[in-house]
Amino acid sequence: MKTSLRHAAILALALIAVGLGIFFVKAIALHYPLVPGAQATLWDFEIYIEFEGRNQPARIESYIPAGDVERTFPQEEFYNGSFGLSLAGEPTTRNRKAVWTYRYPANRKVVRYGAQTLGETQSTPLPLWFRESLTSVMPFEADSVKRQAFIVWSGNLRQRSADDFSFADLAIKETFEQRTNSEQYADEIEALLDNNSGVIGRLQLARQLLQSQGIPARIAGGVYLSEARRRVETRRWLEYHIDGEDFRYFPGGAPDRFFTIWYGTKPLVEARGVDNLDVQIALRSRDTEATSIAQNAPGRLGDVGRAVGFNNLPLTTQLVYEVLLTIPVGIAILVFLRQFIGFKTLGTFMPVLIGIAFRETALLNGILLFTLLIVLGLALRFYLERLHLLLVPRLAVVLIFIVMAMAGITVLMTGANQAIGLSISLFPMVILTMTIERMSIVWEESSAGEAIKQGMGSLAVASITYLAMSNDHVEYLMYQFPELLLVLMGICVMMGRYTGLRLSELWRFRALVGS
Amino acid sequence: MFKTYSALKKNGVIGINERNVRYVSALNPRKFFYKVDDKEVTKTLATAVGIPTPELYGVIKDARDMKRLSEFMDHPDGFVIKPAQGSQGKGIFVVEGPLKGGWRLSSGRRVDLDDIKFQINNMLSGMYSLGGQPDKALIEYRVKFDDVFGKVSYKGVPDIRVIALKGIPIFSMVRLPTAESDGKANLHKGGVGVGVNIATGLTARAMQFDRLIEIHPDTAHPLEDIQAPFWDDILLMAAKSYDVTGLGYIGVDVVLDREKGPLLLELNARPGISIQIANRRGMREVLERAMALSAVNRTASERVKVAKELALELNPLAVNSSS
Repeated sequence: MKTSLRHAAILALALIAVGLGIFFVKAIALHYPLVPGAQATLWDFEIYIEFEGRNQPARIESYIPAGDVERTFPQEEFYNGSFGLSLAGEPTTRNRKAVWTYRYPANRKVVRYGAQTLGETQSTPLPLWFRESLTSVMPFEADSVKRQAFIVWSGNLRQRSADDFSFADLAIKETFEQRTNSEQYADEIEALLDNNSGVIGRLQLARQLLQSQGIPARIAGGVYLSEARRRVETRRWLEYHIDGEDFRYFPGGAPDRFFTIWYGTKPLVEARGVDNLDVQIALRSRDTEATSIAQNAPGRLGDVGRAVGFNNLPLTTQLVYEVLLTIPVGIAILVFLRQFIGFKTLGTFMPVLIGIAFRETALLNGILLFTLLIVLGLALRFYLERLHLLLVPRLAVVLIFIVMAMAGITVLMTGANQAIGLSISLFPMVILTMTIERMSIVWEESSAGEAIKQGMGSLAVASITYLAMSNDHVEYLMYQFPELLLVLMGICVMMGRYTGLRLSELWRFRALVGS
Repeated sequence: MFKTYSALKKNGVIGINERNVRYVSALNPRKFFYKVDDKEVTKTLATAVGIPTPELYGVIKDARDMKRLSEFMDHPDGFVIKPAQGSQGKGIFVVEGPLKGGWRLSSGRRVDLDDIKFQINNMLSGMYSLGGQPDKALIEYRVKFDDVFGKVSYKGVPDIRVIALKGIPIFSMVRLPTAESDGKANLHKGGVGVGVNIATGLTARAMQFDRLIEIHPDTAHPLEDIQAPFWDDILLMAAKSYDVTGLGYIGVDVVLDREKGPLLLELNARPGISIQIANRRGMREVLERAMALSAVNRTASERVKVAKELALELNPLAVNSSS
């Protein structure tokens, strides 16, 4: 007794934990939207490299986005023309490179790389390996003058800062600030930047300052996802990590969304043996169903999401499951209404089946048609009572009559231009027949009042389950997150061990309330 | 609402959910259900251990047995035709005796052979059985009920329901037919339930339609302090029923015959919980105490003794008021 209770509780909790676990992985890590019809902006990204061959061996190297940042990165494509393509990786920076080669190219040639991305935001975490790549480096080993300037300046920055956070802020601020004459270390900074005072040079200097303090830092290159156009500029920014916090510094202001392509100070594309190299980066945005992006999520986690889903099935089957998966929701509600509230229904799952039929008729019409068929069927059933028919043949007569009544209503309604007449054909006639039989037995054995009470109870439960099952949100959630079935199952196991009183029993035993 | 809930909980009232989870499904193995679902099996098992039941005149399983129908019905004192797997008295046909070439029913209606055959065919096709499976029709002795509850019954046959936990009788009530229940003793149809003290066999409180009453609604006789005769025999029948069925939580339905004393009518593996209203108290305490007592192996008569002691201990007021 006690052990079976514990067993049931463990089973229920395990089912709920597994179901919710998968649900949260999909909702949080894979960004499956929780509401139907959620949209997301997907960016088409293309590197377009055009050049003229010189009839001598040509080699074009381009950095392409690596998969190490946590980002949705569904499809990538290479357009090689007649060129040979090889992919190379750089172990230290973890960059990825596409290398196109050809022995004797002539005329204008084009190679392209295309991908789709959602982009990243400031909150996208930096990869773990980068956070832990702690190397305290002292730059300018070769140049003793620059080295001296660097030591003086960084030492001073260190004095003026409280911790790594304020050191980084100060270092970046002074590296990028317009220098004035009053600035104490203007000369040192000038010397360190040398003739390399552009953004890259300053980012480089800031990176060196951070790294000299043991702060992991790197320069990232990529594009800002702000508008759709050809010839998007590549941008550089600084990424660093202090005490479990990720920081990105974008010179000239941070974009909402950006797309990282490579790391380091090298240019995006390098070419040898070609003339008139022209690199264009094109961006185009389009609104897409957020679900389809989530379903195409990369990696093993994305496979988990795809495994618990129906998107590989034929469309017609998917549509069937869209409806089928809502039925357990109705069933769980029915269990609650029976075990906790104490609704009396004709037949155990009959109200849920009627509720499904309401999907086609809508609620009010459904209730009217259902009541009409039951009343007609009951009238026939009472007449048949006098003929003393045997049970099975009598059920058959009622069933045939139900089909006739349904056909008759359809014809009449269609004649009156009422489209709802058509939907009546979806009422489950066997269920209706059994309902009529049960109702007439209750009518005879107990009373007309009891029969009508149970009929109304069934109709009420059918309406409640219909409202739940036809809800767009419920349908969407159950279809996108079928693992919630485990949760429903767990809840039903728990309800199966409910030993308290039902709401209706509070009324029934009201005479026993006093002591 | 929560007040009502906690008051009922405090009074130890159990609901259908608790009955099903803690008692029916925990103590009644499904494989033994056939012993109580089929009244012919119940009768055979009960007779083997000396529990008296109404004498069986014949069983009709199919059309071939139907040829022997007139032989089975050859009892001028009347007889009862009932479906072997019926519940709640559904489909029962009480024949009082021959009348002008046909038979007279207890309701006064005259029926002929074809009417009876039709009724039996309905039973065979499973009209009254659980789930509608094919059934048998039993033809048996018609109980001539004892007058002890005559003044508080309106037509029909009163019966005594005893609930036994692992063979320890714990709760009991007398079910009395009323005009409203159409001569049937079923509580949900309007029969009156009167609590009976397990220790003494004296009736105490009463209910109808979930409400407390003091007098019979039709005969206006007071319902309290009627001594159920053969009380020890009835308790022993309830205790023995556990030994033959192996079902730990059963309702034992007994009728009192004028000549033959208490007879076992049927056993119920899912006895209702309205008996708590008839007794004006919840069952939980006595169920749990009896559960603890059942850890020790006892014979049927020892269990009756234990049950009486338990009833005296838990419900001493009832004894005082009736003495």
